[in-house]
Amino acid sequence: MTERSLSLRQPWTRTGLTAWTGIAASIAAPALLAAPGRAPNLAGAFVLACLPAGAAVMCWVDSGDGLIQAGLTLVLSLSATAILSACLIWLTAWQPRALFAFAIVGVVSCVARLVFGGRPCCALRQ
Amino acid sequence: MRRVLALQLGLLIPLIAGIGAWAFGVSQLNRQAIGPYGVLANANAWFILGLVLLLAGMLAELSRPRARTWLLGAYLIGLIVAIHTTVPLLYGGTPEYAWVYKHVGVAQEFGRYQRVTDTSNIYQEWPALFTSVASISSLGNAGPLSFAAWAPVAFELADALLLLGIFRLLTADRRLPYLAVLLYEGLIAWVGQDYLSPQAFGYLLWLGIMAVVVRWLLVPEPAHARRRFINRVRAFLLARRPSPQQASASMRWVAFGLVAVLYFAIVAAHQLTPYIVLPGVTALVLLGVVWRGWLLVVLLAVVAVGFLVPRYGLISSQFGGVFSGGDVFENASGSQGILHKAAELRTGEVVHLLAGLMWLGAAAAIVVRWRSLGRVALPAVLAFSPFVVLGVQSYGGEAIYRVFLFSAPWCALLIAELIAELRGALRPLASAMACAVALAAGLQGLWGPTAVYAFTPPELTASNWLYQHAAPGSVLVLAADNFPGLQVANYRSYELVIAPSDPQDGAAWLDEGNVLDVEEWLVSLGHPTVYVVFSQSMANYASYFGYPTGYGALAKAVVGNPRWHAVYRNPDVVIYRVTVG
Repeated sequence: MTERSLSLRQPWTRTGLTAWTGIAASIAAPALLAAPGRAPNLAGAFVLACLPAGAAVMCWVDSGDGLIQAGLTLVLSLSATAILSACLIWLTAWQPRALFAFAIVGVVSCVARLVFGGRPCCALRQ
Repeated sequence: MRRVLALQLGLLIPLIAGIGAWAFGVSQLNRQAIGPYGVLANANAWFILGLVLLLAGMLAELSRPRARTWLLGAYLIGLIVAIHTTVPLLYGGTPEYAWVYKHVGVAQEFGRYQRVTDTSNIYQEWPALFTSVASISSLGNAGPLSFAAWAPVAFELADALLLLGIFRLLTADRRLPYLAVLLYEGLIAWVGQDYLSPQAFGYLLWLGIMAVVVRWLLVPEPAHARRRFINRVRAFLLARRPSPQQASASMRWVAFGLVAVLYFAIVAAHQLTPYIVLPGVTALVLLGVVWRGWLLVVLLAVVAVGFLVPRYGLISSQFGGVFSGGDVFENASGSQGILHKAAELRTGEVVHLLAGLMWLGAAAAIVVRWRSLGRVALPAVLAFSPFVVLGVQSYGGEAIYRVFLFSAPWCALLIAELIAELRGALRPLASAMACAVALAAGLQGLWGPTAVYAFTPPELTASNWLYQHAAPGSVLVLAADNFPGLQVANYRSYELVIAPSDPQDGAAWLDEGNVLDVEEWLVSLGHPTVYVVFSQSMANYASYFGYPTGYGALAKAVVGNPRWHAVYRNPDVVIYRVTVG
């Protein structure tokens, strides 16, 4: 079995789950934002702010603990949202749709992780 | 398979019963009946039964040698949801605390004007949380008021997630992290630092930093120092320390990057949090347990100072500079000069006692292990390092509350470890006692002043009416300092004035009981027409704190006064347009 097929066939690793979550969130967020109604729009905005950016990083980093993995995915996403939105204000280039970049980055990184990543980033050598 | 599933579903019965009883209890609570001693004192049997079932169910599971962590997690979520959604449910999703509306206004302002409009506004100079809220609000096509009331439950669930993860890395006992987080939820319930605010956001990100440090940046042995004394002290402090998690050098550098990102977001969001983070990290570095520790401290300091320097004038003018006061006792005394009265005094005493017990319990846990301090070194250092902040700043009387908050997780872990050492029936008994006391006291602190700090939907409707109908430039007067205000994007177009009727503001305070004095003061504002607001939460505030002393007399005296024309009235609010001069 090649390393590539191994990573696709073993989605139940922490990084694999993070990648699938990141892909799901990156697709669901724009879909919810495009749906009619305030409730799905708001849910989409929160999903966009809370998941894809962190998943894009954490799908490569195995923390060794599911809760830490989920927690860091959340706080890294929120940090990215905070930094990007603050930069938009400082640069007087306010465009909240810039947050869609997180969905793109999330999909690209998480798919890359599933397709190419056989071993999490920077793991200890056995 | 079916039997296993049925058994597992059966395990959920106390949890579902607890949630159900609590939810039914909330639906039967009458918010008008909530008095000065708060929700608990006026709760019905269903509400109390629900909370007791949730607590008892979790404690029963914790007492099992092979506790099911999924069930413990479910109980914890149930308890957090019950604690932090009670008030929003009771008050129709209206955000609690007057100052939350100010935060909403800043987010709305960014959304509308799309730039920093006032460099003398401290919120605009530390904008990261507000711009995030503005982004979500803009993309979600919903104003921040539609979700602000649910911020406490969201922040608490996220905090609990990270804390559980951190505690699981620090201990081998699978029950202990859940006990520690349960204790923590009780201990910090009263601090009220989880509403929609930069500090709640910064706190969550700080927990993220701690997770990264504990997971990847701890080293098994401190590097050998040149001074023998330092090596001896470290050896004593780190005796029998458990081995930290392993990590490769490249992963440690990645962790450095993660910390830098999280820290920059904190620095851009809140003025004080970066400086509470630093003592904890520095203390760990002094212990010698952090990989490339001094580099990390320098990195954090450079980020913090680099952001602060161009804004230092603002800090200097509003807080007297970073190092504004070295009087530890004064800085630790909280809000200065507050009048204390009956219910407010009792609730205050309860939470002060709780805080004292928390630090005493943590200190006891350290003393008990004086021969093997390494087992508690990390939480001990993190529990007491936030006190450094009291040596330099009072932060408008709030510093001690932040110290408590940043100390609480590690104190909870220390106390939980102490309880876990007990054998036989003592362990579940001590767990039950500690959690019940922490939750009861914490919830009294959280829900005691609910009638004061929570606002009804009619009050918010009245406030929105005022901003829609009063012409920009109008003076809006609050008869007492407790009303939802400043929540609109153009809040700076209005002059919001609080009647100077608090004796603590100085010798020349306004006696609201004297209408002529009040009118004379209104004339001094220099506008021919002003709007004066009276509300139920103001009346509750005046009754709870004992000032403004003449609030009730003024509210009665102006009824029918020809100069005071009631322009808006609903069950909880009356707004007068007053023509003076």
